[in-house]
Amino acid sequence: MSLAEKYPKEVKQILAKYPPEHKRSAVMPLLYLAQREEGYITKAAMQDIARMLDISETDVASIVGFYTLYHDKKEGKYRMQVCTDLPCALRGADEFLDNLCANLGIKVGETTPDGVITLEAVMCLAACDKAPVFQTQGPDGIKYHENMTVDKTMELIEALRKSSA
Amino acid sequence: MGVFDPLLELLRGLGTTFKMALDKPVTYQYPEEKRPVRPRFRGRHVLKRYENGLEKCIGCSLCAAACPADAIFVEASENTDEKRFSPGERYASTYEINMLRCIYCGFCEDACPTEAIVLGDNYELSFYDRRSAIYTKEMLLEPVPSVEMTTPRKVEPGVFTRSVPEMKDPQD
Amino acid sequence: MAKQVTLTIDGKQVTVPEGTLVADAAKMAGIDIPVFCHHPKLEPVGMCRMCLVEIGRPVRDRATGQFVMENGAPKIQFMPKLETACTNKVEEGMVVLTRSQKAVEGQKGTIEFLLTSHPLDCPICDKGGECPLQNLTVAYGPGKSRFLYDEKMHLDKQVPLGELIWLDRERCIQCARCIRFQNEIAGDPVIGFDERGRATQIVSFSDPGFDSVFSGNTTDICPVGALTTSDFRFGARPWELQAHASICTQCPVGCNTTLNTRREAKSGGRIVVKRVMPRQNEDVNEIWICDKGRFAYHYTEGKQRLTRPMIRKDGKLTRASWDAATKLAAENFQKAKKNFVILASGRLSNEDLFNLKSLAEHADGKAYIYSHMGGGELTSLVGVGEGTNFGSMGAGTTIVVVASDLYEEAPVWYLRIKQAAARGANLIVMNARETKLDRYASFTVRYAYGDEVKAVSDLAKKGKIGDTFLKSENAVILYGSDGLGVSGSAALASACAKLLHDNGFTGRPNNGLIGVWGRANDQGAWEMGFEVEEDLAKAFKGKTVYIAGADPVADDPKLAKALEGAEFVAVQDVMTTATTEIADVVLPAQAFTEREGTLTSGERRVQRFYPAVPVTGEAKADFAITSQIARHMGIVLEGTSVSAVFDILAASVKSFEGLTYARLAEVRPQWPIVGRSDLYYGGTTYENTQGMGAQLSAAAGRGEKVSIPKVEKEALVRPKEKELLAVPVTKLYDRGTTILPSELLHERIGEAKVILHPETAKSLGVEEDQKVSVSFNGVNGEAAVKLTDTISVGVALIPRSMGLAIREPVAVKVK
Repeated sequence: MSLAEKYPKEVKQILAKYPPEHKRSAVMPLLYLAQREEGYITKAAMQDIARMLDISETDVASIVGFYTLYHDKKEGKYRMQVCTDLPCALRGADEFLDNLCANLGIKVGETTPDGVITLEAVMCLAACDKAPVFQTQGPDGIKYHENMTVDKTMELIEALRKSSA
Repeated sequence: MGVFDPLLELLRGLGTTFKMALDKPVTYQYPEEKRPVRPRFRGRHVLKRYENGLEKCIGCSLCAAACPADAIFVEASENTDEKRFSPGERYASTYEINMLRCIYCGFCEDACPTEAIVLGDNYELSFYDRRSAIYTKEMLLEPVPSVEMTTPRKVEPGVFTRSVPEMKDPQD
Repeated sequence: MAKQVTLTIDGKQVTVPEGTLVADAAKMAGIDIPVFCHHPKLEPVGMCRMCLVEIGRPVRDRATGQFVMENGAPKIQFMPKLETACTNKVEEGMVVLTRSQKAVEGQKGTIEFLLTSHPLDCPICDKGGECPLQNLTVAYGPGKSRFLYDEKMHLDKQVPLGELIWLDRERCIQCARCIRFQNEIAGDPVIGFDERGRATQIVSFSDPGFDSVFSGNTTDICPVGALTTSDFRFGARPWELQAHASICTQCPVGCNTTLNTRREAKSGGRIVVKRVMPRQNEDVNEIWICDKGRFAYHYTEGKQRLTRPMIRKDGKLTRASWDAATKLAAENFQKAKKNFVILASGRLSNEDLFNLKSLAEHADGKAYIYSHMGGGELTSLVGVGEGTNFGSMGAGTTIVVVASDLYEEAPVWYLRIKQAAARGANLIVMNARETKLDRYASFTVRYAYGDEVKAVSDLAKKGKIGDTFLKSENAVILYGSDGLGVSGSAALASACAKLLHDNGFTGRPNNGLIGVWGRANDQGAWEMGFEVEEDLAKAFKGKTVYIAGADPVADDPKLAKALEGAEFVAVQDVMTTATTEIADVVLPAQAFTEREGTLTSGERRVQRFYPAVPVTGEAKADFAITSQIARHMGIVLEGTSVSAVFDILAASVKSFEGLTYARLAEVRPQWPIVGRSDLYYGGTTYENTQGMGAQLSAAAGRGEKVSIPKVEKEALVRPKEKELLAVPVTKLYDRGTTILPSELLHERIGEAKVILHPETAKSLGVEEDQKVSVSFNGVNGEAAVKLTDTISVGVALIPRSMGLAIREPVAVKVK
């Protein structure tokens, strides 16, 4: 099913925001829409968007590749994205991430066996003063979690696991 | 000048003869006896192997480029983990040196990025015809220390990915 | 002429057209500014920062707008930081310092950064020896790096972007030249960047991978060894290769190429062609070639090559001497008298064709060209002439492409016409189906198969399109054979010629008719006076046939049958084919890589090719074989040297008048300056030092009276119920004898296909990729179904030379 068939109202609304000669600008919101259900963007959806906006599939795929909030593979239900840039690292982000990995029994970039959590290291989340910080990207959108400890995080994960069970 | 002077000279000459006859001879009984070579002697080339038996030569042809006598011919092919000759992607599928052309200057050694070609100690190079002066890769390659180290061989995938090893400055 | 701007680069006064980039201006003045991402054929992006220079601009008085003077000269204000020479356009009075201490430091820093993650691969890298990064590191690099060796990024080294091109992710410096080439020049945006930062990598999202017929060019302009062709991978080091100028023989464009050869142990010590590289000719192919030209040369070295003359004795082909073989052929030709037929293909050179035609004339025989297209005689009447160049077409010129899918038939013309359209030329694309060129067309005209002639005749009458066409200064029409047979294309040619002639678009540069032929030298054959015969089977029956460079037996079972019934068959070819198998005499010819000669391109440019490798076996050049046969028949034909034949040819064929063999080897200075030692500027394309060719004159250009023969209307094929209209189309990679020996291309060639509209397929009850049986006109075969909604319903497209012998539109049964 194409995107326009699935979300006719939203697609129309997004396309209406941009002048027809610049409709390629709609690529970002459309990708976000395509990601809503599955948590990732399928190849078919990229082709669909490319056709809709008259741009090449390569362009769409490059955009998906460029931005860390777009995904082209199916991973865990929640993506836990920990900032490991320099200021965060100085506030113990690296150590936090290592311990979290040890607790979850997975490496960075991997998904827990139950498919709930995928752990990722990302660039600046603009909250250096509240590091260690991470955001969860899931079906309910993006949420920030600041001043985190491993224990607090494990509690959060348990809650997420329960809610998705 | 006395009458005995010539005789004296003769005896002196004979004296030297006798002395030398008792001396240790400098002659080498080649080929039974071989003269040792100096550490930096440049003899026939040898293609070296790593300790694991893989060939050091990666078929880059830089030796052929450096050769002032145009004595070396190299042809390369692609390695796979199923059939690996050397580390990295490339190996020499043909390696020939024409020993009649070679002037043993050692430029090939200098050019080699992996220290694969080394001028060895062997100076016994004689041929009955020109054809046999061309040494092939099989003739130049060092023998493998054990059977399981022969090349080509199957190796674990993703281990031997680098052609050029990290090099240290040469000793000696 | 554009406004000229004078600036100073490194103390040298340079005057260049307005809008020139500083890097290009420096190049014109002979000053090298190092670049990686900048390419003179691509739009500037300023990605690599290699071309950092100091730029100063004269200060203007705000009130008066005049230059502020200081010590009698305009006061120059330098920018506090370095700027990129590849993105800044020249300005009047600008001062550029490319080797100042500050600029040198900037360039050194850029190299140091680029090398932080570049692997130590030079010894095994295919680019090593012709690598811009290598060269610039030596010339402009810091010599030492402050970065740690252990911290280099380690990435995948063998990533196939398709089966033709390989990517080494470690070597890539993210200059995006390949991506930009595909977007801007090829118009196939099939590769792009994925990820970001240090993880940025080139990815192909198409299926099959890197789905573009120009993919090989990205390896030429790649400034590092990141992109390599699977054909040449580890084939040889660049400095070991010999370069020989040649011309591509795969299509009528006539791209200038360089054959790189080397002695090879794998081939038993023979000297072989290792790769085909483009050779700059801004009038023909600029610095590009298509993948077919680059990879389909392997037939010249195949095991199937004929090495010795053979004679059929007791039903078997046996070895014979040249004398015996040519004598036998000559005796039979002489005996045949009027029943002597020559069939030659456009794979032969002008000299070969000239000798064949002369032989036919002297022996009272017929000379036919083996072509699926007609109308060639019109291209020597109102064809394009001297001075015609797609590169000089722009606003004011109309280019009409009718019944041709240029992307598949003549890729470099597609590329050049696309560029002309971007410069403002009116592009009118007329076809019964959608083609890739449609995207760049100002107007597209869609007609039903069978209505080609009408569509062309009505072109000038059609409102806006007609106005544009009639009001343009120059007009060229390229006509092809998409969905047409011999008579159909001849009728179309006639309609096109009439349209051009009636409106005065002939006899001037950039005006006239161009045929999109099937083979490289079809145009030459037409100039020589060869004719096309629609019913070759009839022409062969009971005749004595001399076939040169063609394989009719494999192409068409009907022709195979007809040749069985021929009196005597002599076949002259470079390799064993189905036709040589049935021949009475087989004469081995030299491949184009082994000899010299000239070819006439579709734009009627005569170009020379040169020998690159030694001759295979006892093979002889075609013109020499013909001359030897002629001698046995008591006819004197020049057979000693190509230049001697060319001289006679130039004296006897009117359109060749005034040409000399030497003139074809003349070169002119070209822009951009590529192919010299500075590989970083334009890539590894070769400089043209051995000839840019010369164009023929057309009858209309010589001031002769031209009359266009009347359009003969072809009877339309009317498919009955449960039948479809099948039309022949041309595919770039087909199963032709000159392509099939290149194993590398097999995946792109694929199997026999029948292309249908989804609705047609639905009504037939067939699905994509399903094997169906196809039967028409006594031909039965199997083909896989391919669906596309770019064609009309009720039509089946059958590619030529893919196993189904289709010559003209027919009614077909698909089951």
